[in-house]
Amino acid sequence: MTLGLGRLVCGSLIASAGLVGAVSACELKIGVPAVLSGPAAQWGIALRGATEFVAKETMEEKRLVINGVACTVSVKSIDSKYSAEGAASATSALAAEGIKVIIGPVGSPEVTGFKPVATRNRMVAMVNSFAKNSIGPEWPTVFHIGPGPSGWAAPIIDVGLQRYKFKTAAIVAPNDQGGTDIASVNADIFKQRGVTVTEEYYQRGTTNFAPIVTRIMASNAEALDLASSPAGDAGIIVKQIRQAGFTGPIFRLGGPGTDEIARVAGGLDILKDFLWYEPVYMDDNMRALEQKYEKLMGSVRPENSDFFRWTFAARMMIKAIQAAGTIDNAEKIAAAMRTLPVEDEHIGKGYWIGQKFFGINQEMSYPFAIGVIQGGVKQPLIRAEAVSEK
Amino acid sequence: MESFIATGLIGISLGTQYTLLALGFTLIFGILGVVNFAHGGFYVMGGYVAYYCNVILGLPYPFAVLMAMLSMAALGWLFEAFILERVIEDHQATLMVTMGFYLVMATAILMIFGAESPQFPFPVTGVWRLGGIYFPYANMIVLGACLAAIVFVYWLVYRTNIGRGMRAMSEDLPVASALGMRTKALFPFAFALATGLAGGTGALVTPILALAPHVGDSVLAFSFLTVILGGLGSVTGATCAAFIVGLIEAYAAVYLGGSKGALTLFALVLIILVVRPQGLLGREVRRS
Repeated sequence: MTLGLGRLVCGSLIASAGLVGAVSACELKIGVPAVLSGPAAQWGIALRGATEFVAKETMEEKRLVINGVACTVSVKSIDSKYSAEGAASATSALAAEGIKVIIGPVGSPEVTGFKPVATRNRMVAMVNSFAKNSIGPEWPTVFHIGPGPSGWAAPIIDVGLQRYKFKTAAIVAPNDQGGTDIASVNADIFKQRGVTVTEEYYQRGTTNFAPIVTRIMASNAEALDLASSPAGDAGIIVKQIRQAGFTGPIFRLGGPGTDEIARVAGGLDILKDFLWYEPVYMDDNMRALEQKYEKLMGSVRPENSDFFRWTFAARMMIKAIQAAGTIDNAEKIAAAMRTLPVEDEHIGKGYWIGQKFFGINQEMSYPFAIGVIQGGVKQPLIRAEAVSEK
Repeated sequence: MESFIATGLIGISLGTQYTLLALGFTLIFGILGVVNFAHGGFYVMGGYVAYYCNVILGLPYPFAVLMAMLSMAALGWLFEAFILERVIEDHQATLMVTMGFYLVMATAILMIFGAESPQFPFPVTGVWRLGGIYFPYANMIVLGACLAAIVFVYWLVYRTNIGRGMRAMSEDLPVASALGMRTKALFPFAFALATGLAGGTGALVTPILALAPHVGDSVLAFSFLTVILGGLGSVTGATCAAFIVGLIEAYAAVYLGGSKGALTLFALVLIILVVRPQGLLGREVRRS
């Protein structure tokens, strides 16, 4: 009888200890719907790499401590295939695992498919996308990692106009929201500067752009903007249009990816005169971040420079979770995020913007850079200050 | 006028590439009765084999193309002989097996080479120009190679005993088998020929366009479209349809725009199939 009572007490104690452990454990699981296949995969790889890095950094440096317990942070990535249905499906799968904190997705079609599922499942997210409705008052727990071309296309076009003479331009982009939203914004900015613009759209999945190149050549465009065409597609377009004899400057007023564009096109010589939006100005701070990544992750950082923006976004999310004191209450985390200043240890201070363009002040704005290749030679990046609505 | 001629060159270029792909696709269907959903995978893998031989190992490009053809033919032979042959009588199973094999190939490429496009330049650069008409030398060489391959396939199918055997099996499998045609040898041979063509096309075309793990998806779609239009199983139908598809795609895209070009192509194919469901040169009923 005594032995039985002792076993019961011991069992209860062990069970209680287990229960206490379970209650106090803090395990943050971040969902990452990222495009990991297809011509836009480079963007998704940058997103995944940045989030995994921030997860590791958070644990190593005990940056997330809730109720006195340092949280473990893990990342669950699912290929969102750069489509609305792919992102919706990936987000549903993440929701089924009880994940409430999301970093991603990248593209406009993905974000369109993502938002309703995320809102329904009460998730808090940091998304990209250059769509005109990337964020909005309808989705109060969705934040934007940075402005689209409405924020930075104008200064890049101005640099182009200073260096090259052109009065006509062609814009080529996919014929879905990921292309049309960006191309139309870029077209307006070109037109404001007196440049006549023709817009060319193609079906996503096109591999031979020779017919579109023929159309562009027939339009006598003096400059070309690749807008948000995925880097793989953009590389083929550049290769084929240079073969066709196009000698004008080429703008890339969409997501970054110049290295891959150059690789597919056949090198910097083929790019010749090329201007693009670069998410960060590479200085000692950015190089320090690269080194930190290498030290923590044991490999070089993902090639696409959107890696930096995703790193700042994921860190911001961790800060918001810390401030909210919860890992699974999306509304609380979002509320905490709104009160935090836009600031990162590597890039410095930025602004919350978005009220004018989206009707909600949930877009982070940091300094960025303008990339220039002139005569096939990469020029030093030009630093541009963060866009502000003040 | 110049852009009209330039567009015609683009259409013919596309047509020859589609012909090579569609010939393999239609050979497999005509002889084995299998819709090969792995066809795009052999195209991509052929491109990667050529890339590996040429860029990584530094072997001459023509040798890399040859290696791509031979390795894809060998892979196709093994796949048919050891996997597909076991389920050849079950049409649904063959669909699933070929689709599954495509996913295996695509994932293997992704794991080995990564999702990003490698730099795989065509060894010949430069462009031929005449006024506003231009044609890259690389495209000329690929056009010539594709035409040579098409001639070879026609010679093989219509002028050799192996070809006669394949056509006999395509016409009436039970009778051909009763007359001594060896399906155990000819089935894998036909499959290897088709996958070798796909691999060779991948090795030739990916350096002038782009090499990436996903490019097989559109190849499969266009191969399927072409053979449906030409008539499943018809070699001549596939050839005619490939050029029709290539020319319509080019002219519609140039004169109507990229988006409307694709729409025109698919709408036209839809109309043709409504009027002639068996395709341009297909038969109404497949007997084997």
